Amino acid sequence: MRVPHPDHFTSQLRSPAVAARVGVWLGISFGTCFLTGLVSHWAQLPSPAIGFPTSPAWGYRFSQGLHVVTGCAAVPLLLVKLWAVYPRLFERVDLGAGRRLVAVGLERASIAVLVAASIFQLATGLANASQWYPWREFSFRTTHYALAWVAIGALLVHVAVRLPVIRTALRADVDDTTHDRETAVEPGPVSRRTLLRTTWAAAGIAVLATAGGTVPWLRRVSVLAVRTGEGPGGVPINKTAAAAGVTTTAADPGWALEVVVGGDVRTRLGLADLRALPQHTVDLPIACVEGWSAQGRWTGVRISDVLATAGASGGRDVLVTSLQQSGAFRRTVLPGAFADDDRTLLALDLAGEPLSLDHGHPCRLIAPNRPGVLQTKWLSSLEVSA
Amino acid sequence: MSAVRWVLGGLGVLGGAYGAWLALTRQDLLQLVEIALWLGAGVAVHDALVAGVVIGASLLGRRVLPLPWHAPATLGLVVWGSVSVMAVPVLGRFGARADNPTLLDRPYLATWLVLTLLTLAAVAVAGLVRSRRADA
Repeated sequence: MRVPHPDHFTSQLRSPAVAARVGVWLGISFGTCFLTGLVSHWAQLPSPAIGFPTSPAWGYRFSQGLHVVTGCAAVPLLLVKLWAVYPRLFERVDLGAGRRLVAVGLERASIAVLVAASIFQLATGLANASQWYPWREFSFRTTHYALAWVAIGALLVHVAVRLPVIRTALRADVDDTTHDRETAVEPGPVSRRTLLRTTWAAAGIAVLATAGGTVPWLRRVSVLAVRTGEGPGGVPINKTAAAAGVTTTAADPGWALEVVVGGDVRTRLGLADLRALPQHTVDLPIACVEGWSAQGRWTGVRISDVLATAGASGGRDVLVTSLQQSGAFRRTVLPGAFADDDRTLLALDLAGEPLSLDHGHPCRLIAPNRPGVLQTKWLSSLEVSA
Repeated sequence: MSAVRWVLGGLGVLGGAYGAWLALTRQDLLQLVEIALWLGAGVAVHDALVAGVVIGASLLGRRVLPLPWHAPATLGLVVWGSVSVMAVPVLGRFGARADNPTLLDRPYLATWLVLTLLTLAAVAVAGLVRSRRADA
């Protein structure tokens, strides 16, 4: 088999005119994923320098839904983009070129980083959204975050290097051949315009096929979404009581929530005690980092009421601990602004029914504008400083 | 190079270096090796397998399909192929758990088969219509 050479690729469709146009939308997708990813990272920081806002309640639902749906749309865009520039993979480097060799080498290295990081981000993101973890060692969250910086950095370098070509390609007609390789003269089976429109259509189908995971009225259309959105109380479940290993402890009739202030256990509230406190009902979403979300009607006790009962002053961060014995989110920090918010409840009911075991029975946290992983289930204690 | 390009490039290098530093300092050696393997494997799977399959399909299509069928087959491949790649994790239901019926709770394989049949049907209809027009 002969070693491929760029000259072997003769289709006029593999042109910078196509690559630049798909690249614009791919850049917009990656930029959106990057910014919404930063928002998600910020929302999950235990004690951020600037507090994550408690409103709008649907803020995280929107930004994380956008993150995952945009990532899905980027799959067709990336595939067509890579197809359009594929011949360049086989460009020979002229080893006698001296200083230019360094520049060419650096550019090709930046492309290698960009392609590798892009594929990595989409592949690991899609896998994670379906709770598939085919890797053994690395942490998804840490790595997806670190490589997001790598991908966006390499993307900026790529745009900087190619800007003159991108500019002229976008200003010229899509059928312009100024920047085409010399051998790219054979008309493709479709026009460039048709290929581009089909690419937009494929990205659109990717969006429709998955967005129902977070946009309720698209549920029926989104046939490839990871969830139907069904579940007890109309809310799906991310981690079951069995998976968390709490089926016995959470069902124990002797369960009581410990409220610790300044290291002293101030009070222990059983389910009956919590039900005896003033009950409030709020409509708040569970918005998962995996991109799905569902609105629920939650009833329970305001966390601020419980803390006040125990003699804690407001505005303090609350360390929330679950009955779970392991897992990264067993203990989470609820920032003071969230603890003070009237909408933040220790929920006992969902949709008018007592919480199911999988939704966090006997008692779970529900707060506005907060990632689902931090809406701790199966609470065992709340701790604040004195 | 213009100032805009220098600024973009500079920001890019800084951002990329920060990401590399994050990865290198927050994961141990074994984790970094696995990340490197995944980065390499992603490129290899695309550049050899996916690109190879697409090139093979194009060559085959050009040989076996009459000319009027080339355009619809190409468009069908773009849409069906890219949506199929995106759907791999749900099609395999690799993340499914027996204790959680709310996860991966759609008939993905059946859906994908319907999508495949619809694509084939659309390509066939367009191909036949175009063939007839070409004959007329």
